[in-house]
Amino acid sequence: MNRRQFLATSAAVTTTPCWSSAAEGDLLKMRDIYNKGLGFSPLATSLDGGQIRVEGFMAPPLKADSLFFVLTKMPMAVCPFCEPGGEWPEDILAVYTRRKYEVVSFSRKILVQGTLRLSEHIDPGTGFFSKVRLENSTFRRA
Amino acid sequence: MKTITTLSLLGAFASTTAMAQDLPQADNTWFIAAQETIAARVNVQPNTSKAKNVILLIADGNGVGTNYITRLFAGQAAGNYGDEHLLPQDTFPHVALSKTYNTNAQTPDSAGTGTAFHTGVKTKQGVLGVDETLARGDCAGVDAATVANASEIFSALGKQVGIISSARLTHATPASAYAHSADRNFESNDGLSEGCEQKDIAAQLVDAMAAGTVDYAFGGGRRHFIPSDLEDEQGKTGKRTDGTNLIEAAAEAGIQYAWDVDTLAGADLSKPVLGLFTSSHMSYEADRPASEPSLSDLTETAIKALEGSENGYFLTIESGRVDHASHATNAYRTVTDGVEFAEAIAIADALTNDEDTLIIVSADHEHAVAMAGYSGRGAPILGLSMKVDGAGEKYLEEPNLAQDGKPYTTVSFLNGASSVMKEDAQWNGTRNAELTQEMAMDMDYTQEVLVPLSSETHSGEDVAIYAKGPWAHLIGGTMEQNVIFHVMHHAATAE
Repeated sequence: MNRRQFLATSAAVTTTPCWSSAAEGDLLKMRDIYNKGLGFSPLATSLDGGQIRVEGFMAPPLKADSLFFVLTKMPMAVCPFCEPGGEWPEDILAVYTRRKYEVVSFSRKILVQGTLRLSEHIDPGTGFFSKVRLENSTFRRA
Repeated sequence: MKTITTLSLLGAFASTTAMAQDLPQADNTWFIAAQETIAARVNVQPNTSKAKNVILLIADGNGVGTNYITRLFAGQAAGNYGDEHLLPQDTFPHVALSKTYNTNAQTPDSAGTGTAFHTGVKTKQGVLGVDETLARGDCAGVDAATVANASEIFSALGKQVGIISSARLTHATPASAYAHSADRNFESNDGLSEGCEQKDIAAQLVDAMAAGTVDYAFGGGRRHFIPSDLEDEQGKTGKRTDGTNLIEAAAEAGIQYAWDVDTLAGADLSKPVLGLFTSSHMSYEADRPASEPSLSDLTETAIKALEGSENGYFLTIESGRVDHASHATNAYRTVTDGVEFAEAIAIADALTNDEDTLIIVSADHEHAVAMAGYSGRGAPILGLSMKVDGAGEKYLEEPNLAQDGKPYTTVSFLNGASSVMKEDAQWNGTRNAELTQEMAMDMDYTQEVLVPLSSETHSGEDVAIYAKGPWAHLIGGTMEQNVIFHVMHHAATAE
């Protein structure tokens, strides 16, 4: 399955989660979560376990019908899962969605809402290691 | 002869005739400033001393257009319109245009261009320290195609050698100063192609330091020096699969290791130092933590370490991440790293003497960047194109609109990942109708782009060369990029 087929299939069989209009708090940027030199910002630490809204871009997912994608602060066309030698930026956010989602182009800004978790986790489907993630998430196009 | 005669007449007009004539614009501030410029240019004299020291500063991807954007950004940050500003390199007396193509590529890459200015010969895209007879990836042919590089040549002249990069030290531009490789991607042994018996690039750097052809090497890329099962000081593992710890190997050869601001400050600068400050590339200046030295910090440290060298030194400095930011179409980090590059130039200039130090500033190539019109003066260079005030100077607070009725930014790129054409719209697209000045000037904004590519590309257009010091006057006209090396070598060997 090439990427175009994957996108078409994803769009056909998945349901876009609905966006809650009652999102809590301000819309965050990815840089609000991290400190320079990595580590998490005091703001992120204070929000651990709570609902946040954050803007970013959906990196090209590896698998169709997934509940997982990576949010990047800038458009990222190449999927490091798929390309040998590809590298993730260091300031990213693992997103676990409430339901199967429709893939959005990597260059289209999205707004994601979910529960912030600051803890180490390995995604069982992809082996992706994360130190920060959003759980039970929904998103919409910006 | 004709050129000389014409220049002489122009000089005579500028310095005498115009002053003697009663012109209505004689009191115009632009006219007076131009007269002062001519007077300064008339006094520029060739310096034919031997260059004890040679400093080459390259901002990767900092072509004339990119330099212009950085100039305006720096000028506006200083509270001015921006276009009247001069970056340190803009003040250098001798300038030329550099033709950057590789021998097999109209649009160059940094391996071929680095080899040009670090060895004196152009070569193919993707190879380091070898001539154009080598096919990329042909490890067996490296020895036969090897040419001497800057660290070998200048150390043979008795000079100490320093290499600095804000990218990985094993990346193309810094590697071209010390390595010979069939492929720029052979940064550590894990990247070598099967059956390739060439030494990887990181191993070549440690060899060069042990051999005394490189004395100080500061940059990123620690992961290529340590094993894949070893965590570094920042908790990141290495890349090497041969079990070799090159930092330990360097230590056994008497080379000190620094990995942050404090360990660099604690190093004995009378002896060689390998500074590896990050696992991969060093941080963009906008994201740099205080524990990580800046490019200008490293420049100052290197010059202070090298200035005691009896026979002088060769120091090559790369601002590597100007290029990376443009590849990401994030103009903010392009210019903020460009400003830091300018700071490194200013420090290099301040710590050296024009009488005995040749300083050359250039770029390896330009990017597919473009500036749209027509903005009034002072319009934020990273923001929207704003209307001209026909009755004044400063821009009007009203954006120019395209035919689709939407605003657009002054800076954009031709191609890249932030294309307006989206895969989920069958590669059709529309521009953002809600783009505001605040959004466009956000540090993480990626410029509007037409052609969708995974990464924005270099371009093949000329870049500028700026020079001062001994034999800097050899920089002039439109030159092949490899001539830069010959100017440096001529200056260092002149009698």
